[in-house]
Amino acid sequence: MYKFSAIAIIVLIAFSSCGDNRTPGRVYAPDMAYSRTYEAYDLLDSTKFTGDVLDKGGDKIYFNAQPVPGTIKRGDEFPYTLPHDSVGYKLSASVANPFVGMSSVEMMEAARLYNINCGVCHGEKGKANGPMSGKVGGIVDLTLPAYVTMADGTMFHSITYGKNNMGSYASQLTRKQRWQIIKYVRTLQGGVKPATDSTAKAAPAVDSATTTKN
Amino acid sequence: MSRYRKIVSKLVASLLLTAVFSINNNVLAADGEALFKANCASCHKVDKDFTGPALQGWKDRVPEGDWIYQWMASPAKMIDTDPYSQELFKKWGPTKMTAFASMPKEEIDAIFKYVDEYKPAGSGDGSAVAAPAEDQSTLWYGILTLIFALIGFVLLQVNSNLRKLSDEKEGIKRGEPVPFYRNKTYLMTAILVLFAIGGYWTINGAIGLGRHQNYEPVQPIFYSHKVHAGINQISCLYCHGGAQDSKHAGIPSVNVCMNCHMAVKEYTGEKLVRPDGTEVNGTAEIQKLYSYAGWDPNGGPEGKGGYNPDKNGDGVPDGARPIEWVKIHNLPDHVYFNHSQHVKVGKQQCQTCHGNIQDMAEVKQFADLSMGWCINCHRQTKVDFNADGKGNRFYSIYEKFHQDMKNGKMDSVTVEHIGGTECQKCHY
Repeated sequence: MYKFSAIAIIVLIAFSSCGDNRTPGRVYAPDMAYSRTYEAYDLLDSTKFTGDVLDKGGDKIYFNAQPVPGTIKRGDEFPYTLPHDSVGYKLSASVANPFVGMSSVEMMEAARLYNINCGVCHGEKGKANGPMSGKVGGIVDLTLPAYVTMADGTMFHSITYGKNNMGSYASQLTRKQRWQIIKYVRTLQGGVKPATDSTAKAAPAVDSATTTKN
Repeated sequence: MSRYRKIVSKLVASLLLTAVFSINNNVLAADGEALFKANCASCHKVDKDFTGPALQGWKDRVPEGDWIYQWMASPAKMIDTDPYSQELFKKWGPTKMTAFASMPKEEIDAIFKYVDEYKPAGSGDGSAVAAPAEDQSTLWYGILTLIFALIGFVLLQVNSNLRKLSDEKEGIKRGEPVPFYRNKTYLMTAILVLFAIGGYWTINGAIGLGRHQNYEPVQPIFYSHKVHAGINQISCLYCHGGAQDSKHAGIPSVNVCMNCHMAVKEYTGEKLVRPDGTEVNGTAEIQKLYSYAGWDPNGGPEGKGGYNPDKNGDGVPDGARPIEWVKIHNLPDHVYFNHSQHVKVGKQQCQTCHGNIQDMAEVKQFADLSMGWCINCHRQTKVDFNADGKGNRFYSIYEKFHQDMKNGKMDSVTVEHIGGTECQKCHY
């Protein structure tokens, strides 16, 4: 009988090692499995040696992808300085797009970024029929005349700070990417020349802060 | 005969006419639907309030006459002059409706005809598709094996009993037979079987130590990838944009969630269910997000939602704090893994390593992330070196050196040629 119970215990231990999948399970060497270096979103507090997942310790590292104020990422455009208010919106039309001619590779990249970040609401062709358009609501059709005539700078202002139901994309797209996506949107509008610089009209029907010609 | 012919021809003609008219009607109604979807649907729903008011029942609400045409032509002008329009603007502002000045009257009529005749297509909540019959073959094999084992056992017993009978008949004396639980053959077989099973489980358990396959932790918010990436088709890179630029795929900060959830305030899709069968209230989960973001769905200047004021002066709205998502995929410190190398350069799909994320209500670790698993993929995946502009052109410089040496332009390649004097080679 002793033999039987010994075997039964071994089998039981073997079974119990595969616990439920809500806990991470055991590791051989916690000091290797759980990093001592600073790692984002890490399971355990990296400044404190522990194998206990419930002992989370102090503050962990979280970040959003917005650049540190006062810094410029290598290869990116200079910061956009107009403020997030109706005055800034009005003035934004006078900011010119620094990307005049874009190579086909850059354009393909802009199209890819448009489809990832914008197409989900504005639609692949800019017709406001993306998969989320019926849920978010108030999505504008980028091919409407109001947006064809909207200045690049005004679009940039809206992408940077958000507008109506749209949030800010400053943490998801670099300034360079935002300007290049606007260039791609122009191709969706059928290559119609947008008004630029100081001759630009801001969108009349969209903006509640009744912008006038400036 | 001629009389009948007349009647028949009249009948045919009238039938044709009705057909033509009804076809015409269909065309009009269909046009209305298409026009509605193209022009109105991004702000209006027929039977529900959305960014703008629900359109059904418009006739009972708006002033008589051609108010509706004037409104469509120029909402801004109407808001300046007409009292009912001002009332509308007060309720639904501050954004004014886009003007449709150039839309012909027939099209406006078609849209409102569609709106009046619209019926919601079936009640949306899932009289769910019957769960697919589970594969029961394993169960049947198990039952069959048991039956055969039982038959075998019974036959063995019968055999020994028969032998006992025949022994008695022929007068052969044998010792008292040992019961089967003391029979050494049975015992040995049982021990061997238990040993094999136990060994299998023990070794698998030991290999699985530290691998955490199928790890599916409870997250602070019931965030369903199935709803976001599957049903709503949001690209993985919308939220996890870091995967194309950096080592970490990155968990989106709360402002990325709020890009959509400023407008999407309630969950109306199919039922969300936890693995233990309990139902999840999607709208309550969105409320949790608002509390993390420091956002009040009834706050803001117009009461339509806005961030809490920053009264304690810490630079973020009061109550805003990061969401402590539980990290699922962990690699030990001695393994370096870089997302951008795989996503951007290697052009791998997220699903290759993470499984069908777009079908997971709660994310679990799909692969075991073992070294063997990595190595297998690295053995099989073909690298696209093509220098025709599509591949990664990694070896193009080496190709050039080979050509130059063949043509006698250079006699050897120094370490400097292959990047040996770049600062980071030593100073990293």
